[in-house]
Amino acid sequence: MKAIVSVREAVKNYTLGNVVVPALRGVTLDVVEGDFLAIAGPSGSGKTTLLNLIGCVDTPTSGSVEVAGKDTRRLSERELTDLRLHTIGFIFQSFNLVSVLTVSQNIELPLLLQRKLTGPERAQRVSALLERVGLREYGTHRPSELSGGQRQRVAIARALVTRPQLVLADEPTANLDSVTGAHILDLMRELNRTEKTTFIFSTHDQSVMAHANAVVRLADGKLVDRVTPAQAAAENGLPA
Amino acid sequence: MSKLFVDLTIAFRNLVQHRRRSLFLGAAIAAVTALLVLLNGLSTGVRETMIDTATTLSTGHVNVGGFYKVTAGQAAPVVTDYKKVLAVVQKTVPEMAFAVHRGRGWAKLVSDTGSMQAGITGIDIRSEPKFSSVLQLESGKLDDLAQPGTILLFDNQAEKLGVKVGDALTVSAPTTRGTNNTIDVRIVAIAHSLGLLSTWNCFIPIESLRALYQINQESTGVIQIMLDRKDFDHIPAIAARLRQALDQAGYRIMEPDPRAFWMKFQSVSREDWTGQKLDITNWEDEISFMTWTLKALEGMSVVLIVILVAIIIIGIMNTMWIAIRERTREIGTLRAIGMHRREVLWMFLLESLMLGLLATIVGVLAGAAIAAGLNAAHVPVPTGLQFFLMSPHLHMSVHGSLMVRSVVFITVITGLAAFYPSLKAARLRPVVAMSHFG
Ligand SMILES: Nc1ncnc2c1ncn2[C@@H]1O[C@H](COP(=O)(O)OP(=O)(O)O)[C@@H](O)[C@H]1O
Ligand SMILES: [Mg+2]
Repeated sequence: MKAIVSVREAVKNYTLGNVVVPALRGVTLDVVEGDFLAIAGPSGSGKTTLLNLIGCVDTPTSGSVEVAGKDTRRLSERELTDLRLHTIGFIFQSFNLVSVLTVSQNIELPLLLQRKLTGPERAQRVSALLERVGLREYGTHRPSELSGGQRQRVAIARALVTRPQLVLADEPTANLDSVTGAHILDLMRELNRTEKTTFIFSTHDQSVMAHANAVVRLADGKLVDRVTPAQAAAENGLPA
Repeated sequence: MSKLFVDLTIAFRNLVQHRRRSLFLGAAIAAVTALLVLLNGLSTGVRETMIDTATTLSTGHVNVGGFYKVTAGQAAPVVTDYKKVLAVVQKTVPEMAFAVHRGRGWAKLVSDTGSMQAGITGIDIRSEPKFSSVLQLESGKLDDLAQPGTILLFDNQAEKLGVKVGDALTVSAPTTRGTNNTIDVRIVAIAHSLGLLSTWNCFIPIESLRALYQINQESTGVIQIMLDRKDFDHIPAIAARLRQALDQAGYRIMEPDPRAFWMKFQSVSREDWTGQKLDITNWEDEISFMTWTLKALEGMSVVLIVILVAIIIIGIMNTMWIAIRERTREIGTLRAIGMHRREVLWMFLLESLMLGLLATIVGVLAGAAIAAGLNAAHVPVPTGLQFFLMSPHLHMSVHGSLMVRSVVFITVITGLAAFYPSLKAARLRPVVAMSHFG
């Protein structure tokens, strides 16, 4: 199977004043199309940083990141934006919906940025996705009128509306209770199966990892290993 | 739903979301716009009154005047054989509304109780279509000025001389030959003062002026050409055209000199020529000695507007910085999901422009309403100011073009003020969307 993401020896250092904080210390990772991959690790291990590199919102200090066959180091700011717009969907830990837009408008926004579809085509996609995430009646609501779980479902719909090849989710359930979180993961998993969309999500929650095909474990900015959810669970002394 | 519609929705809803902030800033913008309209309306009103008054009392929109010198050192404000000049004028400026000719002079008015120096204008009241519409008579009859040996004064002059209608005055002036001559005149009308211009001007029939200066029937002081409002912008072109046509007709023409005719005596007297020379001027030249009041008013308005606009700019920029700080995560999110930098720039600019446009429209309407109210209320102008404003009442002139220009001007300022903060917003990195703070 083809790799949609290929990270090679990626190093990322942040500088705080004159202190260099190493966030990633040489990570190598391939993600194949259609994967449903969890990135696990304790807080501060570099999960967000790695997802930022894969999501083309940041570039590595050294090493390389290829997304959909494109080396992100060689792309201009503009090209990176286009790559994000057309190839990647984002689901954020804090949902990050545009508060002044309605649910439907939030979902439609990436399509408007793409300028590819006509009005009726866009409307059709939006209503299909609303249906899909179980928010058919909420199209005209504002995000502030929804619960956390509902908001994250809107965010999922927004991430999927452009039919991206890759969806990145940084701790998508961290701000949700465990039941709602499990529903969100189920929904993502279902979309992964039906749409063949590749998902990469980070978590430090054992029960969330259980949904993944595979778990990549990070510690202290380094990739420790790649295991099955069952193995990950067993090592932590939990049932899979 | 189009992209523009969403942009407008985001902009509008953000303004509504931050209602208090938007209202506060919008009110400030509106107030400055209203003030801009009022100050401009005042300047325009004064300017229009000034033009109206001046073009009736002492100048045409374009003038063909000149000097006749018997000897090199003696200049008289006279155009000889004026009918021929008038013929050239009529042929060259077919678009003019009308032309009148008037005699010019500077004389001493002597009454039983006082005397004063004043400019005297010789007019043929029967061929002056607009004269009566500008003057407000205090006493007497304007038509009586058709009889020779009469004079029209302004109330301030009459007061100074201690005279009333029916009284006699002696007018004394040096003739072109250098000797002094006097004539006796009877006061037939006293008009309300029209400010600066009426302190220096009085009117006698042109025959009487000719008698005073001992000049012939074919001579006058100046041909005043009156134009329709639509041609006001072409005044320099018309003056140039006249200069050329009169030159070709064989007249000697003076170099353009933007001063009133009575300020040119000294320099003309010093020049080494005799005979006739024509001088083509426009209304601004002839009242250049008093347009400083207008310039001062406009200058003060400009200073005030600059200060207020600076405050507005600071206000807008401050508000933008706050808004951008608050919306950092939103901006990062939009950038992450694929919004380009220029789209973010546009999003923020649009919000400011929308606020600016709404506020300036409100401001302009408020300004125009206040101006209309003040005009209707006939607010009296203090006497000292009447002198400069040339009108006993406050008169504001707010044209549609001024309103449109004010809206555009302040809205553009708003956009410019918002540009730098918007640019900063557009340059925020998409990673800020992931930050779990703020
Ligand atoms: N913007 C930043 N500036 C400085 N240090 C940062 C920044 N972002 C993350 N870090 C540091 O990099 C390391 C990895 O952070 P992160 O990728 O957020 O880990 P995780 O998502 O696994 O909690 C941490 O030590 C964190 O403090
Ligand atoms: Mg993190």
